[in-house]
Amino acid sequence: MTQDIKFIQGNEVCVEAALYAGLDFFAGYPITPSSEIAEHMAVRLPGIGGKFLQMEDEISSICAITGASLTGHKAMTATSGPGFSLMQEALGYAIMTEIPCVITNVQRGGPSTGLPTHGSQGDVNQARWGTHGDHAIIALTASNHQDLFQITVEAFNLAETYRTPVILLLDEMLGHMREKLIIPKVDEIPVVKRLRTAVPDGVDFHPYLPREDGRLPMSDFGDKHRYNVTGLYHDMWGFPTSDPQVIHGLIHHLMDKIENRVEQLTRYKEYFLEDAEVILISYGSSARSALHIVKNRRKRGERLGLLELQTLWPFPAGLVRRKTRQADFVAVVEMNMGQIVDEVKKVVDQHKRVFLVNRVDGGFITPENIKDMIRLIQGRGV
Amino acid sequence: MKKHPMLKYLKEQGPQGDRLPLIMCPGCGSGQVLNFIFMAIDHLINEQGYQKDNFVFISGVGCHARLTSHYLNFDSGWTIHGRTLPIATGALLANPELHPVVITGDGDTGAIGGNHFIHACRRNLDLTIVCLNNKLYGMTGGQSSPTTLNGETTSTNPYGNFEADFDLCELAKTAGATYVARWTTAHPTKSVKAILKGLENRGTSFIEILSQCPTHFKQSPSQMIREYKEKTVRLEKMQEDDAGKIPIGEFQDMRKPDWSSSYRKIVQSVQNKTIQD
Ligand SMILES: Cc1ncc(C[n+]2csc(CCOP(=O)(O)OP(=O)(O)O)c2C)c(N)n1
Ligand SMILES: [Mg+2]
Repeated sequence: MTQDIKFIQGNEVCVEAALYAGLDFFAGYPITPSSEIAEHMAVRLPGIGGKFLQMEDEISSICAITGASLTGHKAMTATSGPGFSLMQEALGYAIMTEIPCVITNVQRGGPSTGLPTHGSQGDVNQARWGTHGDHAIIALTASNHQDLFQITVEAFNLAETYRTPVILLLDEMLGHMREKLIIPKVDEIPVVKRLRTAVPDGVDFHPYLPREDGRLPMSDFGDKHRYNVTGLYHDMWGFPTSDPQVIHGLIHHLMDKIENRVEQLTRYKEYFLEDAEVILISYGSSARSALHIVKNRRKRGERLGLLELQTLWPFPAGLVRRKTRQADFVAVVEMNMGQIVDEVKKVVDQHKRVFLVNRVDGGFITPENIKDMIRLIQGRGV
Repeated sequence: MKKHPMLKYLKEQGPQGDRLPLIMCPGCGSGQVLNFIFMAIDHLINEQGYQKDNFVFISGVGCHARLTSHYLNFDSGWTIHGRTLPIATGALLANPELHPVVITGDGDTGAIGGNHFIHACRRNLDLTIVCLNNKLYGMTGGQSSPTTLNGETTSTNPYGNFEADFDLCELAKTAGATYVARWTTAHPTKSVKAILKGLENRGTSFIEILSQCPTHFKQSPSQMIREYKEKTVRLEKMQEDDAGKIPIGEFQDMRKPDWSSSYRKIVQSVQNKTIQD
C-alpha cells in the first residue's frame, strides 16, 4: 500500500494529528507563530462537518473549547505566549471541572510581546504553574514532525483518559519548519474515545466519582443525565461544598491522578545513554541540535548521550535520576533561562554536576553552540 | 401543602440534606427571575414539545450565577466571571440541538465579559441571555457596576458615581442581537413572555430583568419593586418629559440567520465541492 507522505509545517502536523485523534471543534485567536494551526483548521473542519470558530480573544477561545468538550466533542485551541497568559484562569477551570481538552502553545520569546517570530522555550514553567492554586498538569512536546504527530494524538488520549486539559508545547522553529511526515494509517496509533457513563436514565449520575481504575465517566451536556459543573470545590455530584473532608479529597484527587502516574505519563527517547559520560537532556526543537552534536561526537569516540524528554509535566523525575546515575555530568539544553535544568538539579544525585546549556537571543540553539558550552564545562576551552 | 409547580425543575434534596431555600438574601429578585425562566421553559416543554434534556444553563460568577449552582434539575455549568458567553458558545456550536440559557449579571456581561457580549450578539448565536441587572456587584459587597446610575452611592463610589451608565439593551441591539427586551421583577408576565420569545428566537436573545438588591441598596424589597413600576416607562410610550425614566419593553425583534445555519451552508458547499472534485 502506498504511504501518505507530506512535506508540511509543524503547525499543520498538529492539525492533521488532532483530526486523526478525533477533534471536531476548534476555537482560536490568531497569533504568531501559531496562526497556521487556526488557518488549517478553518480549511479542514467544514469538510468533515466539524466546527471552526475564530473567537474574539484567547480567553473566549479556551472557554469555547471547554463548552464544546462538555457536549462530548474533542476540542483544541492554539496560541502563543501572550494568548497563553490570557488563558490561565480558564485553564484552572478546566482542571477543576476535569474537562478534557488540548491547549497548544507554539512558544515565542517573552515576556510580553517579546519576539513574535523567533523561537523560545520560555513557557515551560508557565505551563506548569501559570494558573493559580495547587494543581497538576500534563505538558508534552516533540522535536520532529513524525514525533509531533504521535505526541499530539497522545495529548488527546491523555486528556480523555485522565479528564484533564493537556498542554502541547511547540515552539516557533518546530511550528514553522517543513519536513517529511508519513501520515500514520487509521488505527496505527490507538485513539482513546470519550468515556461515557453507563448509568441508566433515572439513576443518580456521579460525574466526580472515580471508578476503580481511577477514570471518571462523563455524560454529555444535552444527554439524559443531569450534570452540574462548577469551578468551586465540589462533591461527587458536582455541587459546591465547603465540607473540609470533601475539599481535602478533591485537591488530592486532582494532584494524585497525575502526579501518582508519572511513569505511565512519561514519553521520552534516548540515544547512546548506556556508556555516556556526558548526558545531554533536551526537548522540543533544541533536542534536534543536541542529537546532532551527540551523533557527531560519537563518531570521534566521545561518550556523549541524549535523553530527549517528550513529557515535561509531570516531570519524569525517576527516569532522569535513573538515566543520569553513571554520567560524569549532565547538560540541559533548552532555549530559556533554565526552566527544566532546575527540575533536573532537584532529582539527580549530585546537582553540582548539572549545567545549563542555553540560548535566549532569539536565535536557534545550534550544535556549535552546544559543543562550545560543553567544552567550557569540561574545562577544555572553546 | 401543595407544591409550587416549578419545583419539579429544582433538586430539592441533596446528599447533605435540603438544598432549598435558595441561598439568596431575603427579598432578592434572583428567585423571581428563576421562576420566570422556569415558566417559559415549562410552556415550551408542555405546549411545544421541547425536550427537557436540551435545556442547558450556563452562568458566570455573581449572586445571579448562584442560581445554577445548587438546585437545578438541568445540565448546568457554573463557570468563571465574565466568560459565561464563550463557554455557552462552545457548547451550543458543538451541539446545536441545545437551548442554552445564559444567566448573567450587569457586571458579568457589562464589565468583565463586555467584549464577549458584543461578539455573541454580532454572531447571532442561538442563545437566550437573561441578565439580572441589580445595578451593582452583589456578590462582592455592593460595588459599582457599569449600570450603576450616575449619582448613586456604592461602596466603591462613596462620594457618588460620576461615571455614565451603560444601557445593555441598546448595546445588544447595536451589536446585532435579534431579540432584545428589558423588564423588571415588577413585570412578571411580561418577563416570562420575553424569555419565551427569546427561547423561541433562532438567534441571540437578550432579556434584561431589573432585579432588586435590597441588601446593598439598603431599601425594602417592596419599595424597590414599587419603584420599578414608577420609574420605568414603556419604550413606545416614551415622551420628552420621561427623561430620567428607565425604558422597558422590546428593543429589537427581527429575524436573521443564526451562526449555525450560516455555518451549515458553508459545510454543505465545501462537502459538495469535495464530492465533485
Ligand atoms: C476574574 C474575577 N474577578 C473578580 C471576581 C470577583 N467577583 C465575583 S462576582 C463579581 C461581580 C458580580 O457582579 P454581577 O455580575 O453584577 O453579579 P451580581 O453579584 O450583582 O449578581 C466579582 C467582581 C471573580 N470572581 N473573578
Ligand atoms: Mg449585579
